[in-house]
Formats: sequence, C-alpha cells, structure tokens
Amino acid sequence: MLLSVRDLQTHLHLKRGVLRAVDGISFDVAEGETLGLVGESGSGKTLTGLSLLRLLPKGSGRIVGGSIKLDGQELTTLSESALARDIRGRKIAMIMQDPMTSLNPVFSIGDQVGSPLRNHDIARGAALRSAVVDVLQRVRLPSPADRLGDYPHQFSGGQRQRIVAAMAIGCTPRLLVADEPTTALDVTIQVQIINLLRTIQADTGAGIILITHDLGVAASLCRRIAVMYAGQIIETGPVRAIYRTPSHPYTKALLAAIPRLGAKRTRLVAIAGQPPSLIDPPSGCRFAARCTQRMDKCAEAPPTVTLSDGHSAACWKLV
Amino acid sequence: MGASMWRGVPWIPLAILAAVGIFAAGGEWLLPFDPNELDLGSAFKPPFWLEGGDFANPLGADNLGRDILSRIMAGSRVSVIVAFYAILFSGGIGAIAGMIAGYFGGWVDTLLMRLIEIQQSVPAIALALILAAALEPGLWTVVVVIVLTYWAWYARIIRGEIMALKNRDYIAFARVAGVGTPTIFVRHLLPNIFNTLVVLATLQVGQVILFEASLSFLGLGIQQPDISWGLMLSDARQYITNAWWAITMPGIAIMLTCLASNIFGDWLRDRLDPQLRQL
Amino acid sequence: MTAMLELADLTKHYRTKHGVVRAVESVSLRVEPRTTMALVGESGCGKTTIAKMILQLEQPTSGAIRFEGQDIATMDRAALRAYRRQVMAVFQDPYSSLNPRLRVGTIIAEPVLAHERKSRAELAKIVAEVLDVVGMPANAARLYPHEFSGGQRQRIAIARALALRPRLMVLDEPVSALDVSIRAQILNLLADIQTEFGLTYLIISHDLALVEHFSSDVAVVYLGSLSEAGPTEQVFATPQHPYTQALLAAVPLPDPDHVLSEAAAMGEIASAMNPPPGCRFHPRCPHAMDICRTTPPVLTGAPHAAACYLPPHALRDAC
Repeated sequence: MLLSVRDLQTHLHLKRGVLRAVDGISFDVAEGETLGLVGESGSGKTLTGLSLLRLLPKGSGRIVGGSIKLDGQELTTLSESALARDIRGRKIAMIMQDPMTSLNPVFSIGDQVGSPLRNHDIARGAALRSAVVDVLQRVRLPSPADRLGDYPHQFSGGQRQRIVAAMAIGCTPRLLVADEPTTALDVTIQVQIINLLRTIQADTGAGIILITHDLGVAASLCRRIAVMYAGQIIETGPVRAIYRTPSHPYTKALLAAIPRLGAKRTRLVAIAGQPPSLIDPPSGCRFAARCTQRMDKCAEAPPTVTLSDGHSAACWKLV
Repeated sequence: MGASMWRGVPWIPLAILAAVGIFAAGGEWLLPFDPNELDLGSAFKPPFWLEGGDFANPLGADNLGRDILSRIMAGSRVSVIVAFYAILFSGGIGAIAGMIAGYFGGWVDTLLMRLIEIQQSVPAIALALILAAALEPGLWTVVVVIVLTYWAWYARIIRGEIMALKNRDYIAFARVAGVGTPTIFVRHLLPNIFNTLVVLATLQVGQVILFEASLSFLGLGIQQPDISWGLMLSDARQYITNAWWAITMPGIAIMLTCLASNIFGDWLRDRLDPQLRQL
Repeated sequence: MTAMLELADLTKHYRTKHGVVRAVESVSLRVEPRTTMALVGESGCGKTTIAKMILQLEQPTSGAIRFEGQDIATMDRAALRAYRRQVMAVFQDPYSSLNPRLRVGTIIAEPVLAHERKSRAELAKIVAEVLDVVGMPANAARLYPHEFSGGQRQRIAIARALALRPRLMVLDEPVSALDVSIRAQILNLLADIQTEFGLTYLIISHDLALVEHFSSDVAVVYLGSLSEAGPTEQVFATPQHPYTQALLAAVPLPDPDHVLSEAAAMGEIASAMNPPPGCRFHPRCPHAMDICRTTPPVLTGAPHAAACYLPPHALRDAC
C-alpha cells in the first residue's frame, strides 16, 4: 500500500479548548489510485491532508495519535528535518485551492517551478531549465520555454493552477494531495484541471488524495471515496457504491440535498441543524442530532460495518 | 456582563493610569511638598534607599533641592492635559478626514492625500519653531503642534480602513435599502474604526509625552515655573553624572505611563471586539 | 402586462488607467412578476455588475432599467425612495453582509428605520415576525452576528431583506459560500418565502444545477453580453448557444458514470478590456465561422433566444 493512515488524531489547541479536528480516521491509498476525501467545512478533511505533511497551524495544531505510513515508512515519528528533506514536495506534494496565493508574485514561474527540483537536488543549471520546461509541457502550459521568465500575474487563473500543478509534480511525488484544486475556478476551466489531474496520474502513477466538498468533482475524478463528518470518516467505499448505494444517513442526505443538472425538479431534502462543535463532541454518533433515523442506540459510538468489498459505514442502522 | 466585564483587566496598568489621572486632577492638595520650593540644603539628595536619602524626599531631590516625587506628581497634569487634547483633536480631525476621503474617494480623496503628503514633508520641529514664533510657547502651542503633526497619521490609517470597510456587503445593503449617508457613517463606519482609534490613541500617548518633552527641552514647550516631565528631563540632563535619579525618575514615570496605556489599550481593543470577546 | 423589471440595452463601461473595460454590453431582459430570473455565467462575465446597476450601487453608462415600466434614472426623490423599499438584496458572503458590531435586531430593523418611523415595540414586533419567517428564534435579535453559523447568518440576511416586504429581491450567489448540507435549507427557505410573499427574484449564480433547480427563466452572460436567454426548462433541455452547451457539458455531476467534456470550450475567457470582435465567444467556439469573427450576432428568438449564427438544428447535429 502506498499510503496507510491508521487511527489518525489531530488536535487544534485553541484558547477556547482542544478542538478534535481529526478524530481517529483510517484509510489507504494505493499507487495510481485517487481517493476522494469528501466533507463540509470543519469536517477535518483539510487538516487530514495537512497532517500527512505535518503542515499544521504553528503552535495550535498537533498530531496526537495514530500512524501515517508512506511505502511502509512511518511519518508521524520522522524528524522535522527528515520530513522536509525526503517527504515534503519530494514524495508527497500538495496542490492548494487558490492558485493566486500558492504562487509568489515576486518570482518568475521558471524560478518557482524549478525550486523544488533545486531544493531536492534533482537538477541544476541547464538540466534544471529543461526539466522545468518539460514539467510545464506536461501540465500543457502553452509555449513554456518562452514563458519561464514571466510572473504569476501574467497568467490566467487556469494557467496558474497548471503552474501550481507543475510545481507539485516536478519531483515526481508518490502521492499528490489536492485540496479543493478546482474550487476557485470556473466550470469550463475546472473541467480542464480535472482532466489534467487524470493525465498526471496516468503519466506518473502517483496516488492522489482529492480533498473536496463538491460531490460532482469527486465523482468525476475518484476511484474511492471517504465521506468525512465532524472529524471522522463515516462511510468509505468504491465511488459507485457511494453514489449508487449510499448507506450512511449523512451520505444519503448529502446526495439528496444537492440540485442535480437534468434531474426532475423536486424540493431539495435539506439536512436540518448544523454539525456539532468538535471542542466537546457528542460521545455517540456525531450525526445523530441531525439524523432522521435516530435511535436510542445512537447515543453510543456506532461500529463500522462492512457492507461489501471495500464499502463500509459507521451506523447502528446497518448492524 | 457583570463579573465577566472585568475578566482579564490589566490591574497594574490601570492602577498606574488611575494614579496619573488622580495626580493630575488632585493638584496641589496631594503633594507632599510645593514642587517649586527650593531647599538648597537638600540639593542632589538621593532617593531613600541610597546612602544619604530619607523618606522626606523618597525619590530624592534635584539640583535646586526640589522634591522629585512632588514634581513628578505635579508634572503629570501637563502630560495628561497635553495628551488629552492633542489626542482628541488629532484623532478627531484625522478620523473625520480619513472617513470622508476613504468613503467618497475621487477628488476629495486626492486633495486629502496631497495635504497629508505636504504635512508629512514638513519636519515637526520646524513646524514647532514657526508656531512658537507666531504664537507664544506654552502648553497650547504644544497641543497645536502635536495636532498638526499627528492628524495626518490618523487620517491615513483610517482612510485605509474605510476603503476596506466600504466594500463590505452590509454597507452595500444599507445603500440598497435607502439608508442615508450620515447614518451609514454613524452606524456602520464609526463603530468599526473605533478599535483602530483606541489603539492609535493609546500608541500616541507615549509619543505625545515624548514630543512634549522634546519641545519643552528646546524651550518651545512648557515654560518655567510650570512643571512637566519633559522639562524635568531637560533640567536634569546636565547633572546626569552626579544625580542620575533626577533624570531617571521622571524617565521612569514617562515609561510606566506609556507602557500602561499601551497594555490597557490592547485589553480595551480585545474587550470591544465582539468576536475576540468569546475567545 | 408590464414587467416587474426590464433592462433595455443596459451598458456599463469602466474607464481605467489601462483602457476601457466593457463590463456589460447592451443587455436587455424582462423579469415578470413572481418569477425567478437567473443570470448565469463565469466569474468576471458582468453578471454582478448588472445586479449592482439594478441595486443602484453603480450607474449605467447607457441604457435603461425600468421598474414596473418606470425608468429609474428619471425617478424623482420620492419615487426613488419607493423603489428602494421595494427592491432588496441578499449577498453572497454571510460574514461580510452583517455588521459585526450591531445586534441582529438592529440589523434586521435597518431597512425599516430608513423608511418609517416606528416605536421600539413596533420594531421589535416586525423583527420577531421576520425572524420567525426565516426559521430563527425571536431571541436571536439580542445576539451579535458572530454567535451564528454561516447558514443562520444567511437566514438573518434574508430576514433583513424581507423586513419591509419588498417586491423584488436580488440574490447574489446566495448559497455559494455555504456548506452543501446548509444550501438546501436556504434554497428551500427562499422558495417558500417567494410563494408566501409573492416575491420576484433575480438570482446571480455560477452554479448551473442550482439555476436549473431554482429559476423559472435564465439568461446566460458571456463577457458582458447575453449569449442565450429563455425559460429555464427550454434552455437547459435544448441549449442553442455553443457557450451554454460548453457550460452544461463541463458541470461535474454527482454520478461516477457521467463523462465530462472539455472539448466544448477551448482556452479561457478573454479580457473585457479587449473583447474579441464579432461574437465574443468565437475564439473558444468549436463551431466558429467567418461571420462570427467580424459581426456580433443578435439575440433572436422568443421566448427562447440565442445570439448565434448557427441555426439550432445545425448545432444539435454537430454535437
């Protein structure tokens, strides 16, 4: 297995108390596979991604338990310097949501795309330049050789996201963490970036973790989906199982709550209420307060039930 | 409110500020000695904890044997009056100018920015010299100089805040709903720059006190026999080697007052911000 | 019948240091009472500028905005005041749209205070009523905005817009800042109050699925001009403009078997500073002909209109 995460717990230490942002999640990503981490804001999906690279908010964020193994190597106990040298940008790379803030406006794009290659001693001098041109070609930036000296503001939003992707794949990482890579983009550009991620995966065989709130984007890119709610994975399975036979009431409700293009016009089924506070989360099922099928048993933490090969959900209804 | 209102109050800074305020208001009745009374027998008397000092002059005496504690207490009045009026007028003028320029933009804004640039290219001391020549050196000249120097500082910062604020959707909604411009200023803009004003004002306290000191030192500010901390500093400067306390004690008074007002201002800002209040 | 709102050749040019930005170019549109008109398009297409002109936050360069047949540019003070109390807005960002320093009760009372003299008790009654309409408890009036979640804040913003019982509401991306599970709540609420109060909506959105679900009519905006307009069902079932088709093809559906197509719109949106001559979409259009490069097409057809030289059937065959 390329990446194995077991019982990961990440806490944020805030003035108000300890926020259990990621509370005991486990998942795997195989080589060449795309896993979608789907959830709403505050579900812990972004902090899960940041935990892999230990890029948590300074001072407040801490991994307090569990294990993260990349190619069998434990990352949670790795020293900060080893992590920076061998993992970040090298074996695990990240694509962030906003291409405008992930690029530094005062450096040329040649400089920025080249910097991970330089930092990890992969190429220097003329070889570096040709490597940069090569990687920009792979993200299909038009005439890259002529544009190495250009600055981020000289590119459009879609092109900037391509450049960000080029920075990420320069060192041929084993795992790519893409955090809402298309959210800031228009639909016609979004589809271009989705296809780009597909191409990158086919070319490099990297595993991809796609962090998104958009069930449409997740469906179009992922082979497997893990649905997060209030810091936990409440359902996981192959993409078809999740969309065709969702089993957890939250997943079902989420799919019923979005308007679908081309579907018959019916009243949307809203999910009442809001997610619980993760400073003092309920001890039982965290979705119980909003669930239409709540039972007395839901006051206890639900077991994870395996429904079919690779499809499981944490709900008492399924026991 | 109630008990939570006083949570985390910085008591020590508050006590220092209260003391300065009481000295300034209480005037002569509180003073152990007449601050201008000469007693050449006590000249250069050290503070009580040093050899030769006693509790009659707990912080020692200056070159003319005047009691330093009494002079510091008396001098607080000038500092408080100068700080109060200088901050009130520079903050008030600066805030109004900044709000108008930031909100309306266009030529009003251009005009104000030019004025600020002109103001900032005139050295404050030169301005003080001119004004001291035109007016009479004294407390009010100090206030006028500080106001003329600092209003632009307020205006520039407030203008920036307003330019960000005016794009908030609640301002857009107010305009859509037909709320009048004066109401928008009072209801939406002013409360949202209040914190900034408080912080700027507390930062300015220290600067005002130092500014007054430098003007007084140059003879453009407070004149004898009035007493100010700045004047005490300049008086004692030449005796720094044989009577360090004569310059250090008013220096400490200035430092403590500035520090106390900064800490208190920080607390006040957190207190006034409904979002930070919850944390 | 007079339309609730009519835009006639509405145009907005901004003069900047670098040249003239043609944000909105000759847009004409009719919004009938009690219907929902959606303006859909990608970021920077001018849809928000159109809304701003209707809300009188921007002045048109030329063209007219008529409210129940009366041009708002020629209204006297009293008529304008009457217009302002009948036209309200709900904005995208529920954080920026409520003044953090005011209590919710004051926020909701704001439009009432601007137009009527009311006692405290009367105001409190109005506030309690609209809070009830949007599904919030009456005691919310005493709290500050930061004590509420994004969805609740958006309910407060809707209550404020509703307080004076307006006739037209401009909804500028009303749910796009909210979480998926909350969006349905707000959309259902908006649909309910439309029926209850007989409101006319003008909704601005980039989300096609939402527009299909929520609106009765739709106008597709591309680079400041309308490329297609008509009843929502017709436009979505038989899109006639290649841009509309490209948009629809690019929407990722929450269905793992749906295939996305990026071929329908190559490249990226041009700059409004220097729009392409002829049809503004032609550089991205797979069907572009010679005439498209020189002469801008006119919006023709009723009620379903498109600005394209290709006859509808030809386009259908081409796909």
